[in-house]
Amino acid sequence: MTYALDVLQLLLLLAAAPLVRGVVSCLKARLQNRHGASVWRPYSELRKLFSKEDLVPPTASPVFRLAPVVLFAATVAAAAFVPALHGSALLGATGDFILLAYLLALGRFFLILGATDGGSPFGGMGASREALVSTLAEAPLLLGLTAVAIAAHTATIAGMVRWTLAQQFFHLSAVHALAFAALALVAIAETGRVPVDNPATHLELTMIHEAMVLEYSGPSLAWIEWAGAIKLSAMMALLIALFMPWGMPVSFSVAGLVVAPVVFALKMAAVAAGLALLESGMAKLRMYLVPDFLGMACALSILAVVFTAMMR
Amino acid sequence: MGLISLAAAKTLASSAAFLFITVLLMAAAKRTATCIALFSAQCAIITAQILATAYLHHSGEGFLVAILVFAVKVVIIPYALLRVVKGLKTAGEVETSTTPVQSVYITAALIPLAFVVVRPYVRALAVDGQLLAAAVALVLSGAFLMVSRKKALMQVIGLVVLENGIFVAAITTTSGMPLVIEIGIFFDLLIGVLLMGVFVFRIRDTFDHVDVSKLRQLRG
Amino acid sequence: MTLWIPLLVPLLGAFAVLACRHARVAVRVALGVGAIEVAALANAVWAVHSAGVLQSGHYLRADGLTAFFLINIGLIFSLVLAYSVGYLRHIPHGRFSSARWFFALIFLLLFTMLGVYLSANLGMMWIAVETTTLVSALLVGFYNTEGAVEAGWKYLILCTVGIAFALFGTITLYLAAIRSGLPADTALDWTSLMNAAPQMSGARELIKLAFVFVAVGYGTKIGFVPMHSWLPDAHAEAPSPISAMLSAVLLNCALYALLRFDAITSRAIGSGFSHTLLLALGTLSVVVAAFLMVVQRDLKRLLAYSSIEHMGIVAIGIGLGGPLGLYGALLHTFNHSLAKALLFFTAGHIRSKFGTLRMDRIRGMARSLPWTSVALVIGSLAVVGMPPFGLFVSEFVILTAAFTQAHYLLAIVLLAAISVVFGAMLQHFQGMLCGEPQSMGARGKSLFADVAVMTTCAACLLLLGVRIPAVFTGFLHGAMAVLQ
Repeated sequence: MTYALDVLQLLLLLAAAPLVRGVVSCLKARLQNRHGASVWRPYSELRKLFSKEDLVPPTASPVFRLAPVVLFAATVAAAAFVPALHGSALLGATGDFILLAYLLALGRFFLILGATDGGSPFGGMGASREALVSTLAEAPLLLGLTAVAIAAHTATIAGMVRWTLAQQFFHLSAVHALAFAALALVAIAETGRVPVDNPATHLELTMIHEAMVLEYSGPSLAWIEWAGAIKLSAMMALLIALFMPWGMPVSFSVAGLVVAPVVFALKMAAVAAGLALLESGMAKLRMYLVPDFLGMACALSILAVVFTAMMR
Repeated sequence: MGLISLAAAKTLASSAAFLFITVLLMAAAKRTATCIALFSAQCAIITAQILATAYLHHSGEGFLVAILVFAVKVVIIPYALLRVVKGLKTAGEVETSTTPVQSVYITAALIPLAFVVVRPYVRALAVDGQLLAAAVALVLSGAFLMVSRKKALMQVIGLVVLENGIFVAAITTTSGMPLVIEIGIFFDLLIGVLLMGVFVFRIRDTFDHVDVSKLRQLRG
Repeated sequence: MTLWIPLLVPLLGAFAVLACRHARVAVRVALGVGAIEVAALANAVWAVHSAGVLQSGHYLRADGLTAFFLINIGLIFSLVLAYSVGYLRHIPHGRFSSARWFFALIFLLLFTMLGVYLSANLGMMWIAVETTTLVSALLVGFYNTEGAVEAGWKYLILCTVGIAFALFGTITLYLAAIRSGLPADTALDWTSLMNAAPQMSGARELIKLAFVFVAVGYGTKIGFVPMHSWLPDAHAEAPSPISAMLSAVLLNCALYALLRFDAITSRAIGSGFSHTLLLALGTLSVVVAAFLMVVQRDLKRLLAYSSIEHMGIVAIGIGLGGPLGLYGALLHTFNHSLAKALLFFTAGHIRSKFGTLRMDRIRGMARSLPWTSVALVIGSLAVVGMPPFGLFVSEFVILTAAFTQAHYLLAIVLLAAISVVFGAMLQHFQGMLCGEPQSMGARGKSLFADVAVMTTCAACLLLLGVRIPAVFTGFLHGAMAVLQ
């Protein structure tokens, strides 16, 4: 029973990922007084890409073809750790939050390799920028998750969710507030949204993620785009699960199972609205200010860990 | 009524966390108007804290003090400071002698320091350690803002944050001073801030800038 | 009622002066209000002397210590007012730099300072001290020049921060009082605190913390050394009568607040901690100020550092304690205010005649301004502690107290610092007085009022140095009785 629910959870994350992206773009457009594309646009884009031909640069090595596949696989594996509908996920083990962070890093590493392998100067530029951002984002991500883990006296994501569920809403502790702030900043950097990277930009010199995928086309590009969407919805679901999990069913009742997807959808919509608001309200940071941004996330996460000691 | 008293208790428990967040955000802020808005938010949190305390202790004076804090610190003083910012017509950026990241790191280091400083008194006084530490952190970060910011108005903001910290320490440890004294203190603060605003305009008129790090004529 | 009149007269007088249209009318109104005020203060002092303690409602109170300082403020205020009338001819006219605002602000400053002296409640005292900072900041920045605005800003910010720390100290003392059983609405009242002080010895750590913050906080306003950086700027850039007011009265005002706290602390946990802290601050102030005086180039800055030094000596006197130390300290506050007022009036004269206060640009004063030079010589001899002037007596008493309590090192340091000060002042003033007189624009004769004022100061100093009148000693003993 749990197994079926977990599989359903993973499939939901995979299938609804482009929808989340579409919703965010739609909300952004409305906020900017435009009509914008429909929320189902990413699906049609994926379908279009899957039906096109995969062009490979003549100087590329097998890594170029391999990178999108590894990226997609790693991202799906990471999504399998995220509890979306109920308190546990398909995969879970002691220390799985570390594994999740490094699965995402693995995917990103192969994307960097693929971009460098493509041979275009923009690919190299995007790759080096992405390497910088991910290096700086690694520490706050791990420290933030560690802080929550210490506060919850557990080492699994499922355990953290269960602990937060047991707290009451007003019992907001400084650890959680600081860890949430740090992880929110890191999530923006990891998923490549404004103010770190603008996913809708056309100016190559301002791109980070988009520059890396300039050489890709066809199904490879489809895998990369889908993996990006899955990463976005997985990080959003992770933040929701760790910090706002109320509404998840604790035991298996029919009512709980019916309510859970609705609550999940509402929470994701709320986070998507917040993201759209943030993206419309802030300008993209210049590249040399991105380390400052992540430095602040690092300070917040260090403080979160220190606070776990002081709250005793 | 049980729900309200539960909410009051939880507000008290979590207000320290919000105060820390505002402290860190203020260190990272890049515009003076942002700092003033954060100061206003800080005072709103303190008002909520006073209301919660007043409700739990059933003291009418507490409600009066809360209204006073709201009127003076959340509305009037930030409004006056924003008027000064607008009237100065210079760029609204905060010029700092440390980068925003360094400021955030230093402020983040001040917070555990506040906890360490407060520890011997928490046990002796049997008060909420987090709130007292938040008060000391406000004082320290206000002092840091005064020292590291080069604009005259930012020194004023650092000063009112420092006074905020002292006020939070007062309401955490005692249940409030006699009402007349509190009113007097608030009016003093208000007049002080208004006077400092007047002085900022004078500095701008006399020197054509509001950078206090360039006020170094009198030395020795 | 006796206590309300000295408070209300300057407040109403300030508004009255502001309401006048012409400067001449304003000056006359100001003089009139000043005369009434001095009479009211004399009345209050006499009433306290006969009755011992006067209490009016919850918040106003006057005892022996108050009376002593009221004499101080009354005398200096009358001198400053008389001097200002002549000085105002030199004030450049601006929007806030008119004679009306000058007198109005002086009256407001007097009102707030009297609020400090007459308050029965530590919270009220704090509010009044903070208000003195605000009003005097406007006076420091009165001329609106670059230096004045910078000095005013520095003064405002530093003293407000300092006084915020004093507020923290006051709150901590309040907390200690409540935890020792005092009811909340009287826990800031000075009389109740003094009566209940022996019971408060349980909250030892809190009271120590409170005193440290109060010493730092009010010490900023007094000008103790780590916190003194505003003082030379503020006292140098303000108009000369205002500098006299600040140096002679406002420093004493903050000292009064510190004295009240010290009394409570000593009665509660014994005087060891507080007096050691005061000795440390005082010694530091004396030594640093003495050495900084050597390198000064501006006359009023030199006088400001001299104020810091003398406040340090007063702190040493209080820190030594006992009848001798306290007597010397209180007498020293009075003597110092007279001498400093005289010196600042002289500085105002020099400024108006020479146009500058840079000591290296003034030469040959003895021949060009003979009477001002006499005043300068008398003032400087008084301020370095030469007999037959009053400061010699008070410093001698403090040194005696140091020797009786076997603080030999402290006494030697103090003597050395005073010698350094003597050398510095001698060197500076010799340069100013001797030499060929420079040509200077003659800016009119001195007013009778100025001469009278400076003569009064010198005469009082001489009197206090030769033979202190018995009445005065009575007031002094009354003040000491309150603190012991």
